[in-house]
Amino acid sequence: MKITKILNDALIIGWIKSYPDFRRNPLTLILIATVGAIPLFFMLIFSGGGLIVHGLIGAMVSSATFIGVLAGIQDISWDRYVKIREMIVAMPVHPASYALGIALAPFLLSIPSLIFYGTLTAYLGFITLEATLWTILALIVAWAAMSAIGFMISTYLYKVSMMVLNNISTLLGFLFVFIPPVFYSETILGSLSWISVLIPTSNAANLIRAYMGLLPLSAETIIIRWVILIATTVAFVVLTSVKARWREN
Amino acid sequence: MRLLEEFTVYAHGLRTPYLLIKGGKRVSLSTNAVKSVDLVKVYHSREKVEALKGVNITIGRGELFTLLGPNGAGKTTFLRIISTQLMPTSGDARVLGYSVVDEPEEVRKHIAVVPQDVATYSNFTPWEYAYYFARLRGMPASEAKGISEKALKAVDLWELRNRMCQTLSGGERRRAIIASALSSNADVLMLDEPTSGLDAVARRGVWSALRNMVEAGKTILLTTHMMEEAEIVSDRLAIISKGSVIADGTLDEIKALSKEKYRVVVEGKFEKLSDFGEVSKLGDRNIVYVKTQEEALELLKTTLKMHLRAEASPVTLEDVFVKLVGGINNSENH
Repeated sequence: MKITKILNDALIIGWIKSYPDFRRNPLTLILIATVGAIPLFFMLIFSGGGLIVHGLIGAMVSSATFIGVLAGIQDISWDRYVKIREMIVAMPVHPASYALGIALAPFLLSIPSLIFYGTLTAYLGFITLEATLWTILALIVAWAAMSAIGFMISTYLYKVSMMVLNNISTLLGFLFVFIPPVFYSETILGSLSWISVLIPTSNAANLIRAYMGLLPLSAETIIIRWVILIATTVAFVVLTSVKARWREN
Repeated sequence: MRLLEEFTVYAHGLRTPYLLIKGGKRVSLSTNAVKSVDLVKVYHSREKVEALKGVNITIGRGELFTLLGPNGAGKTTFLRIISTQLMPTSGDARVLGYSVVDEPEEVRKHIAVVPQDVATYSNFTPWEYAYYFARLRGMPASEAKGISEKALKAVDLWELRNRMCQTLSGGERRRAIIASALSSNADVLMLDEPTSGLDAVARRGVWSALRNMVEAGKTILLTTHMMEEAEIVSDRLAIISKGSVIADGTLDEIKALSKEKYRVVVEGKFEKLSDFGEVSKLGDRNIVYVKTQEEALELLKTTLKMHLRAEASPVTLEDVFVKLVGGINNSENH
């Protein structure tokens, strides 16, 4: 199958999955923004504005990743449940298009909230043009990693009921976004700050902090962190593809 | 000479011959739309279940073929294998000449599937179903728009095309899904119990759409457990039971498998009914199967004399089906 067809189909599936929410359920967009806004609000209240930039970085990362992991689990399981997936399997659509499309939909939905938090960060003078580009890249890789984690979970837990999967995905979303140093700097963890590198959300958030000059990291450390972030994504994609079956046996 | 320059005919090994048109597109020369050969499917879950035990079915191009069987007979398994969703344990099937085992990508270019109990995205409209599924087939936007309009009109949903599925009735939602299959412009449509749960009016709307598609040259494989549906829409049908095909042919050929040609439904108590023919007891009613019209008339006269209510008619597909799958309970043999 041609790569252009694979990409085009991924865009169509991504659009199918996100367009109805854009048009008929814009509350979804507000909900995505709210995931980051709540901790941001408390940080603003309790720090008197001193930690707001950390909160904005956390809000951007949570916007790009929180529903990514949810969609990776819930959308695939839902499509299997309503049997739309069966229709797509029997079409000239590559499985990569389907996976990419499913992952793309929540990212498209998070774009308005990313623009909002990004604009706020720029307005407050925390970000340069170069840092903007690195931030976008870090957010994209973090989104890919979290989507891959979602796919892996939905693939390995394919016999689990939708209700349980919904709870697991929401719980994971919260765990990945609120527990690790996404809304706060990893320096707070002290000697345990290495944990931050292993988790895609906190790794991406602290890379962004480094590009904004909020976290002193050497060039080598930054490269290593990028490698780990990308390797985490690839590892979860490989783990998923080992188990996932487009056609059942 | 020009023909030879433009086309190449391949006929190697077991593959069905096909034309290779300039540009790499292949056109099958197979005369059958679907042909399964010794298709076997064994599920290994807690216990071994033989869902298909060597199924051989041939469906001609432009036919509406119905696979009829009780629940759990293997209909859905068969459909899922030939629609490339499920691998067979052994055997193979060809769709327009392409092997579902070895050439699933080719098969998928020519088929569209409506799975059993498929649900809709609640915030999607029928138009979006038809249009985006057409786009996924690789159609450009203008072509997808045209074919979506045709598909929605064929299932009588054009007026409701912009309503969200959550506001449509069950039948309308099912027709929206069928429209998405029709908009594929696929040569072979496979529908797994598409009318189950629909009311009589909605069912007829679906049947009408299916027959229109057959008229337009499409091949349709339909699975159902509804006899009326099979009788009305099918060109040919097969009855499958416990993973094996037990009958295959036109409606008349299937009905001819029964030695008894007439049925007499008798209401009320009549102890010597088995003297007339095979009796199937349904509570306070009995169906008596007789071989000739004369025997049916004789039974009718007898019941009238006894002031019992009775009604005679030719045997139905359901009668034959129940006999073939061994489902007559409380029967008494003549």
